[in-house]
Amino acid sequence: MQIGPNADQLELQAATREVLSRSCPSTLIRQTYTDPRAWQDLWKTAVHTGWTQLAVRGIGPEDFGLTTTDLVLTLEACGGALAPIPLVSSIGVAAGALRTIGSRALDLLTDLADGSIATLAVQPSGQRLPGLALTLADDGRVHGSAQCVADAVHADLLVALCSSGDRTALAVIPIGDGVLIEPAKSADPSRPLAVVTVDAEAIESASVDFEQAVAPGLLALAAELVGIAQGALDIAVDHATTRRQFDRAIGSYQGIKHALADDYVAVERARALVYGAAALLDDAAAGPQVWDACALAKAAANDAALACTRTAVQVLGALGQTWEHDIHLYLRRAWVGAALLGDSSSLYHVAGRRFMSEGAR
Amino acid sequence: MSQTDVAELRDEFDRWLTSTLPTDYYDKYSTYRWDLGLRREYQRASFEAGWIQPTWSPGQGGRSLPPAAALEIRLRAALRSAPKLPNIAGPNVAAPAIRSFGTPDQVSRLLTPCLDGSEWWALGMSEPEAGSDFASLRTRALRTGDVFTVNGHKIWTTQAHESRWAVLYVRTDPEAPKHKGISCLVLDMETPGVTIEPVRMASVSDETFCEVFLDDVEIPASALLGPENGGWQVAMSALGHERQMIWVMNWVETRRGLEALRTNRKGTCDDLHSTVGALLADAEALRLNGYRALHNESSGRPSPEGDILKLFGSLALQRTWETVAAALGPAAVTDPDLEFERHDGLAATIYGGTSEIQRNIIGERLLGLPKG
Repeated sequence: MQIGPNADQLELQAATREVLSRSCPSTLIRQTYTDPRAWQDLWKTAVHTGWTQLAVRGIGPEDFGLTTTDLVLTLEACGGALAPIPLVSSIGVAAGALRTIGSRALDLLTDLADGSIATLAVQPSGQRLPGLALTLADDGRVHGSAQCVADAVHADLLVALCSSGDRTALAVIPIGDGVLIEPAKSADPSRPLAVVTVDAEAIESASVDFEQAVAPGLLALAAELVGIAQGALDIAVDHATTRRQFDRAIGSYQGIKHALADDYVAVERARALVYGAAALLDDAAAGPQVWDACALAKAAANDAALACTRTAVQVLGALGQTWEHDIHLYLRRAWVGAALLGDSSSLYHVAGRRFMSEGAR
Repeated sequence: MSQTDVAELRDEFDRWLTSTLPTDYYDKYSTYRWDLGLRREYQRASFEAGWIQPTWSPGQGGRSLPPAAALEIRLRAALRSAPKLPNIAGPNVAAPAIRSFGTPDQVSRLLTPCLDGSEWWALGMSEPEAGSDFASLRTRALRTGDVFTVNGHKIWTTQAHESRWAVLYVRTDPEAPKHKGISCLVLDMETPGVTIEPVRMASVSDETFCEVFLDDVEIPASALLGPENGGWQVAMSALGHERQMIWVMNWVETRRGLEALRTNRKGTCDDLHSTVGALLADAEALRLNGYRALHNESSGRPSPEGDILKLFGSLALQRTWETVAAALGPAAVTDPDLEFERHDGLAATIYGGTSEIQRNIIGERLLGLPKG
C-alpha cells in the first residue's frame, strides 16, 4: 500500500512551492485584506500552471494522470504560502462534491478546470457540522439560506446540498439573479465568507449520498490546514533558533523545544491521515469508510493547525501580537479553516459514536 | 512484490497461524496470553516456518521477503493476537545486532538459539547513573592481551535472571569522548563474577527487571560485538530495531483497547465519543506513518516520520487504556488484566528512550533546534 507521494509527485509539489514563493509573498495576502481584486493575478497563475486541472483528475480527457494525492500536495503547498485564492473552495470542496454525480458533471468540472469558480453551500444556521441548508423543490427551484459559504463573493457557481423530499440532492445554481451574497466579517479577509440566500432554478441536479459528497471537501480543507500548520511551525522554529534570552537561543530550552516537537508530531499525524484518505478516495473498492477517513483527517488537521499557530504566537511573545508580524495571517487562516465543515471535537465525536455503535468488524 | 503476492502470503501466514494455535486459543486468550510454554512453542514454530525475521535469508530463519511484505506479516500477527514472544529482546534487538555486527563464529554460535528462543538475551545498557544519558555509562572493561576484565553495575536489565547471554555495553577507553569509548561485548551470564538480582515489579509483568553486578568478570576479546570502541553504533542500530518493533506493538495494543471498549461498552459512554474518535485517528495515523517511514526508507529518502513513531505510539497507547478505564467506572479497578495494561502503558513512554528524550531528538535532529 503506497501512502503519500512518490518521487514524481514530490517533484511536482516542489515546483508548486517554487511558483508560490515567487508569486505569493505575504504582502499579497495583506493586500487582499483591503483590495477585493488583489487575488486575481495569482488565480490566473493557478489556472495557467494547471492547478485547477485537478478538478478533472481521473475523469477528464486530459487529466495528465493526476490523482487525489496530487490535489492534497498542491493544497498543502497553497496552505503553506497562505495563497489567497479560492483553490480549496472551488477545486477541493465544490468540485469534490460535483464529482460524485458522475459524467453529468464533466462539463461543469471542465469549466472549473478552466478557471470558473464554484463554492459549496452546506452550512445550516446554528449547527456545528455541515448539513442540508437548502431545499430543492419538485419544480427544480432551490430555496433557502446557507452560512459561512467560503469564497462565495468570488464564485460563478453555487453547488448546494439540498433536502429534496426524503433524499439528498446536489444542485448547481449560477450566481446571479435569485442568489443573494451577504459578506460576513471573516476572521481571515483573504478567505471571505458569506451568507448565501437562494431562490433560483438549478441548472443541474442529482441525488447524492451526503457523506460521499462532503468527504472530498473535508479532505481538501485538511490538506490546506496541514500546510498552514507546517508554515506556522517553520516560523516558530526559525524564531526559537535565532532569538536569544539568558544568553541562549530560546529553542534550546525544553519548555519551547518540547512544545515544538509536539507540534511536529501533530503535523505528521494529520499529514499521514490526509495521505491515507487521499489514497482511499481514489480507491474504487472503498466504501463508507471514506467519510470516516476524511473526517478524521480534517479533525487531525484542525488540531495541528490550531496547535502550531497557538504555539507560534506563544514562542513569538509580544511580536506575535503585532499587525506587522505575519503569524496572525496564519492564525486567521487556521481559525477559518478549522471552523469550516466541522471542528475537531464534533468530527471526532461522530467517528467515535459510529465506531462504538457498530459491531466488531 | 505485487499486492496479490502479499495477499497470498498473508493467507499462507493465516493458515499457518490457525494450525499452530490451540483451537480454543481465542476463547481462553486471557489465560493463554500468560502461558509461557505456549509462547515458547510458538516462537520455535515461528522460527522454523521463517516468520520470525521474514526479511532475512532462509539460512537465518527468514524468507528473504521485502520489508513491506514483512511488515504486513507483523501487522497480521499482531491483529490476530499471536502469542507474544517470551523474550522480545532476543529476536528483535540482540539478533539484528549479532547479524549486523557479529563475526562468522558469533553468528553461527548465537543466532539460531536466539531466534528459536532456546537461549534468552538481556540488554546490559542502563546503569544507576546512566539512564537516558546512556553514553555516560561507567562499567569499565580493561583489556589485557585477549581478555577484558569487567567491573560495574547494570540495572533495569530485563529478564537477566532468565537469560543465557547479554549484550553488554562497557567503557573501554575512558580518555576518549564519551560516545567513542564504549564497546559492546557478548556476556556469557554463567561467567564467574556475574551476580544477578531480580527487582520486584510494581505490576504483574513477566518482563522482570534485574540488577547485574559485574566483579572482575573476564570476557575474551573474541566476544567483542562490532569494533572495539565502536559500541555506540551497535547500540544505536539496536535501538533503531527496537523502535520499529515498538510502534507495531503500540498500534495493535491501541486497536485492542478500542475493540475492548466497543465490545464491553457498546451504546454507552456518550461523553467519551470524541475521545474515542481521536484515538481512532491516533491508531490510523500511527499505522500510516509506519508505512510512510518504510516507503521512504526503501526509496532512499529521509524518513523523519520514523522518529515520531515511538513518542506518538506510546502516548496513544497510554491514552487508550486510560479511556478504557474511564469507560468501566469503578469496575476498572477490580480488573487485573486492565491493571496490567495500565502499568504497561505507563512503561511504554519510558522504555526504548523516554518521551522527553524523543522530544529532544525531534527538536534537535528534525527541527534543528540548538541543544540545551
